[in-house]
Amino acid sequence: MSDVAAMTGATVTRATLRRNFWGSVWRVLLRKPSRLLGVVLMLGFAFMGSIGPMLYDRPLPRDPSVQFASPSLRHPFGTDFQGTDVFSLLVIGSRYVLLTALITAVVSVLLGTAVGLVAGFRRGALDAVLMRITDVNLTIPGLPLLLVLSTVWEFSGAWEMGLVLGLLGWGGLARAVRSQTLSLRERGFVEAARGLGLPNRHIVGRELLPPIAPYIAMNALMSLIVAVYAQVGLFFLGVMPVIGENWGVMLNRAVFDFGAMTTPARLPYMLAPLLAILLLTIAIVLVVDAMDEVFNPRLRVE
Amino acid sequence: MTLTTPMSPDGPPSVRIRDLTVVYRTAAGELPAVRDVSMDLAPGTVTGLVGESGSGKSTLALSLLNAVQPPGRISAGSVDIGGLGDVVQLRGDKLRQARGGQIGYVFQAAQNSLNPLKTVGKQLLDLGRSHDVKDLRALVAEARDLLARMGLDGARVLDSYQHELSGGMRQRVGIMLALVLNAHVVVLDEPTTALDMITQANILEIIREIHAERGLTTLVITHDIGVVAEVADEIAVMYGGRLVEQGPVRAVLGDPHHPYTRGLIQAIPRLTGDIDEAQALPGRPPTLTTIPDQGCVFRSRCALRMDVCDTVDPLFQSTGDRMVACHAVAPAATFTTTTSESEREMTPSRAWSGIGSGRREPAADGDGVVARETNEGDSA
Amino acid sequence: MITGTNIVKTFKQRGNVLDKREVPALRGVDFTIPKGGAISFIGESGCGKTTLGRIIAGLETYDDGEITIGGVDMSSLRHRAQQPHFRKVQLIHQDPYSALNPTRTIHQSLHDPLKLRARQTGRSRQWTYDRAEELLNLVGLDPGYVLPRYPHQLSGGMRQRVVIARALTVDPEVLIADEAVSMIDVSLRLGILSLLRDLRERLGVSLLYITHDVATARYIGDDGDMYVIYRGQVIERGPTETIIADPVHPYTQALLSAIPVLYGVEQPGAEQVKPVQAADAASHAEDGAHCLFSSRCPFADDRCVTEWPRLGHAHESLQDPGGRVHACFHPVQRQVAAAPIQRS
Repeated sequence: MSDVAAMTGATVTRATLRRNFWGSVWRVLLRKPSRLLGVVLMLGFAFMGSIGPMLYDRPLPRDPSVQFASPSLRHPFGTDFQGTDVFSLLVIGSRYVLLTALITAVVSVLLGTAVGLVAGFRRGALDAVLMRITDVNLTIPGLPLLLVLSTVWEFSGAWEMGLVLGLLGWGGLARAVRSQTLSLRERGFVEAARGLGLPNRHIVGRELLPPIAPYIAMNALMSLIVAVYAQVGLFFLGVMPVIGENWGVMLNRAVFDFGAMTTPARLPYMLAPLLAILLLTIAIVLVVDAMDEVFNPRLRVE
Repeated sequence: MTLTTPMSPDGPPSVRIRDLTVVYRTAAGELPAVRDVSMDLAPGTVTGLVGESGSGKSTLALSLLNAVQPPGRISAGSVDIGGLGDVVQLRGDKLRQARGGQIGYVFQAAQNSLNPLKTVGKQLLDLGRSHDVKDLRALVAEARDLLARMGLDGARVLDSYQHELSGGMRQRVGIMLALVLNAHVVVLDEPTTALDMITQANILEIIREIHAERGLTTLVITHDIGVVAEVADEIAVMYGGRLVEQGPVRAVLGDPHHPYTRGLIQAIPRLTGDIDEAQALPGRPPTLTTIPDQGCVFRSRCALRMDVCDTVDPLFQSTGDRMVACHAVAPAATFTTTTSESEREMTPSRAWSGIGSGRREPAADGDGVVARETNEGDSA
Repeated sequence: MITGTNIVKTFKQRGNVLDKREVPALRGVDFTIPKGGAISFIGESGCGKTTLGRIIAGLETYDDGEITIGGVDMSSLRHRAQQPHFRKVQLIHQDPYSALNPTRTIHQSLHDPLKLRARQTGRSRQWTYDRAEELLNLVGLDPGYVLPRYPHQLSGGMRQRVVIARALTVDPEVLIADEAVSMIDVSLRLGILSLLRDLRERLGVSLLYITHDVATARYIGDDGDMYVIYRGQVIERGPTETIIADPVHPYTQALLSAIPVLYGVEQPGAEQVKPVQAADAASHAEDGAHCLFSSRCPFADDRCVTEWPRLGHAHESLQDPGGRVHACFHPVQRQVAAAPIQRS
């Protein structure tokens, strides 16, 4: 009898735990409507980048009779020099931008977290070596390197771009994670885990990682923003070849080819990607606001 | 006007706290951390205020300086300090001058309350300037004398940074800073917590001596009854924001009336005598959100609980040599002593032996949770 | 049983390259933790008692000496081979607030060591759930309430009980409690202390209690030995009641004299001893041939500043028949402990 009772007890406990977590995430979001807005916007962008481009037939229809049309219901952001709908360009261009940002964030966060955790946990010689590598990473001049690389690669795929930006951007996180790990490993619970004979991978994964998870999650979101700005900037400045479909290329053409800065009628072509970037930034900032409460049980449970 | 002149020479000032209530704003509304506390510090005495975490003792102490920080505020009552008036009404510059000027406060973490980037001497000069002290040289000389009085090399200490001083030395520096502007009411918040036994004994001796030499009215706040026994003339016991017992130290320790005081004293292991005389107090202290809003605050842990305790707040009233807030012992006001016999008569259903046995219905806390915090894990 | 022989530990303070100071933390300490027994280390902060506790728990290295756990000499084993032995020794931290991971529920904190244990002993997954509830019951907590909660939702006393339950997950033979109640509300302290006492009785675990509070050490194990440690040296050792009633070393006497007296309930000892200098004011001469306490000792004479009294063995005059050993050239029994007032 006790077996059954205990079994159900245990199952109930675990199920409750999981439900508690999502329930509290929901509560945290509800506490400020702005957070909910952020999540909705993020989901919108995710949809835009993943499913969105599939909704359009390529090549996009051109209508030379309506070059640079003003915004209308049919064309929310007007049309471009070929009479193509700017909104559809925006949606198609979003995939490259968002995928690059995602890859950058994943690469830099994985690398930064791993290096920081290992260096802070192991200390000693390994720490010294990893931190020198981190210092080198922090001092690599990004722009010139990309210029050089662009002579070899065209960066037409999001993978190359994301990988390069990610490999350039993990140093700061590594240093921050290391310093947090160093202070955490002196805490009683880490020592207790060692005393109980729990393996190192447990200590790193279960004891050290969760307390710094909110920081890492926030860092990941913020690095999305950084990655978007970096790549759009590179294309806009013409550092990268102005080919392919993405927001940076759109901006570059709007400003340098079509004089959007001087011709008001062509302004929507430039404003559309800017607005998209702005909304994305706002969405991320709003979600970051909820992050600390989601991860910190002290704030989560009232 | 009276603020810049030194205290009147006719002896140490008195402190009269009346109906003081301090509330904290929380998600559940404004909750009282200190409720309806009235207490006198007789001039020239050392009063020891004892309480556990969440009892409101530190909040009460801060009220003496009118220094309760938001989200807390003093919502009612007065704190009259001789020669100064009602501190609760003081504002702005007058209040700032009074703090440190007439009322010296030695903070709880005197070990950490010094500025790590400035020498003690620099902090002393800052203190002097902020209180418009004209003669800073005299101030430094006074500080040096005080430190020397406490067995330290004044010149060296004034030249030191916080990290160069040991815990006991920092505590003495804290006392010096509290007294150097000639304060006559001194509040010491946990003056010996985190100090070693010998250092603690040393500091307590210093507090006692300086108190007598300078003619002070002193309030020592602590969780340790032993500290009060060593240093104080009067003891005041707080629980759940209420004052539950106050009286002369030896009388209260030798014959505690309130069940909480009794339980607290019984829970102290002794150096000699029968080891099993020490008995744990069942239940756990309330927090701000679990303090019952009507009836006795201690009833959930009390062995003498009666029906009236659930609904009626016991009055803090005089019973012989002391003040007690308890329904079970209050009628004893007509007697001068309370023997265990008379207590048993008063509360036929429960006897003192119930304390610490852990064999009563578990205390239901405010959050509706039953937690066994007794000394007996009875299921193996 | 755990024994230590001549344990030496020196901390190297990292100043600059030219100024490397060595701070002796332990100067050749011997100890025995008998099976099922209770001993205590008494001393002020910085005396080395915590370092010694951590060494015994395998959390700190030592420079010299020998530790045997269950008859096995640890220095003969490689680091990895030592681990299963040191696991029989569990340390209860002073601070129950940092001893539990704030981001993990009690359920999670208890289950990881239990799962490891189940794997080692070939027990089922179900056993881990049963065992977690059993242990929480044992330490006086309600599993249904505690398991799904985070540490911050529990009081200090409950947390310390959880910490004790977690230490018990690996079936230790020795529990080391380092000032285990100093951060807990006073009305809850005795509950934790009597829990430790109960565990010793019920599970047969040995207790090593590390504290500066002699009275709590007596409460935990009045039938065991008390070790009074001063600046890395055991200066007096013997049955707890003997040390309290008739201490002979002036430092022990000073320590006992400093304990607050509950006036009204107790009266102070008749022959209280006060050190001539505060610990922080005392200038400690370089270690050499002198008694470590001599600069603060009210009874020191020429011999004390020219010779170093070792505990017991070095000098025959330093032993007495009651099983007590000390390190003082001029042992005089003094009655310093407070005694209860006899009432009619």
